[in-house]
Amino acid sequence: MSEKEDYIVCRCEEVTLSEIERVIDQGYHTLDDVKRITRAGMGLCQGRSCSKVIARLISQKTGKPLEEILQVKYRFPVRTEQMKTLEKQENTDEL
Amino acid sequence: MSSSYDVVVIGGGIIGLSSGYYLTKRGKRVVVVDRGNFANGASGSCDDMILFQSKQPGINLELAFESLELYKSLVSELDDTLGFHSLGGMVLIENQKELEVMEDFVKQQQAYGLDVVILDQKETRKKQPFLSERFIASTYSPTDSQAYPFSVMYRLAQKGRDMGMEVVHNAPVVGIEKQGNGNFIVSTAQNLHFEAPVVVNAAGAWAKEVASLVEAHVPIEPKRGQVVITEKVPAVGEANLWTARYLVSKLKSGITLESTEEELRLGLGFAFTRTEGDSYLIGSTRENVGFDTRTTMDGIRAVVNQATSIVPVMKEVNMIRVMAGLRPATPDGKMLLGEHDGIEGFYTAAGHEGDGISLAPITGKLLSEMIVDQKVEKRLSELSPNRF
Repeated sequence: MSEKEDYIVCRCEEVTLSEIERVIDQGYHTLDDVKRITRAGMGLCQGRSCSKVIARLISQKTGKPLEEILQVKYRFPVRTEQMKTLEKQENTDEL
Repeated sequence: MSSSYDVVVIGGGIIGLSSGYYLTKRGKRVVVVDRGNFANGASGSCDDMILFQSKQPGINLELAFESLELYKSLVSELDDTLGFHSLGGMVLIENQKELEVMEDFVKQQQAYGLDVVILDQKETRKKQPFLSERFIASTYSPTDSQAYPFSVMYRLAQKGRDMGMEVVHNAPVVGIEKQGNGNFIVSTAQNLHFEAPVVVNAAGAWAKEVASLVEAHVPIEPKRGQVVITEKVPAVGEANLWTARYLVSKLKSGITLESTEEELRLGLGFAFTRTEGDSYLIGSTRENVGFDTRTTMDGIRAVVNQATSIVPVMKEVNMIRVMAGLRPATPDGKMLLGEHDGIEGFYTAAGHEGDGISLAPITGKLLSEMIVDQKVEKRLSELSPNRF
């Protein structure tokens, strides 16, 4: 793909389609692999928008079912949270 | 059926990949076998430090210097910046007692050739204008550096593959059998078999289990370290930060820390580093919880509250992710590097605890020299796996 036709897939970390395709073609076939190598999904939104696109790309290239690729572990904080939130002992569940 | 190699490396973290890379470079046919995905263990859930100031003069400091030089050459060898830079580091000093110990320690390090100085309160604040006023001094070294672990591992794997190295993921090793011909057969859970005269155990926190497959004694225990990652923010200071607290208690057994029971259980220490992606990595706990890699609310709370008490402006900063990794700890704080007595061809390269990123290049290079040249430098005897 020429640079002109490239797309940004992960907007937080500005990772392009061609970068992601290259890594999948090198044999990295999980969302974690792609994230760790390209930083796609490592930014502020933590992959909320790009991970589905990346999962679809992996699925198309490998034939792995989409549901299998999208099985990832989630951890708190579910959304970004200021650090001072944790000063209060009662703030335990909503993160 | 098994495939034949010169060396099977068990563990595809930064130590295993570095070992595989340097062995491949020396002409060996190598397969790296890993139990999980890419960077699934401690190397993928740690910070990015190549830290000198924490090290006592001796083998660890000596190897850190050599590793730093190797990182500089890897930047061109691996065609990547590797996130390598020298931001420098500061160890924060809270009281007179700590200052005395650190002054003595800095003198020893200087004598050893490390570029490190003591800064008074004014000089400290000049470099760290947002620092809590309770710190009376700091040490500063411009040599403390960083490398981005994911880039290092990815490029070691890719360059190694270009030269013929194989990397197999999601293949937990369940058996190692010594054959009549002297070769080992390494078997994985899904019945893959790899045959080679040399096996390298680079399994990090899992190295003890791997060693037990050949009845070798490897006293490595996992210590869980929890780390917090912030959003991208402008730099709050010039260098990365640590505190003297734990260093001092390690150096002077007479000095006991005023710690709460929870702090002791969590093994709380402070590390604050600015990453490749302009965010901060804040650590860390050091917990004895076996192989549990979950993050916990009390652990993260302790890490965060410690950080905001030291750099109060961080209270307003968002955290975006937390993670936990198992640091492979040894009884004497030194790695195991070498061949096991009585098991010809079985090597261990593990037990770096918090120094895996720092020491990965030199570990791989020294291991490749042991295996290819069949020579062990005298100074490395204190890292021998047979010392326990």
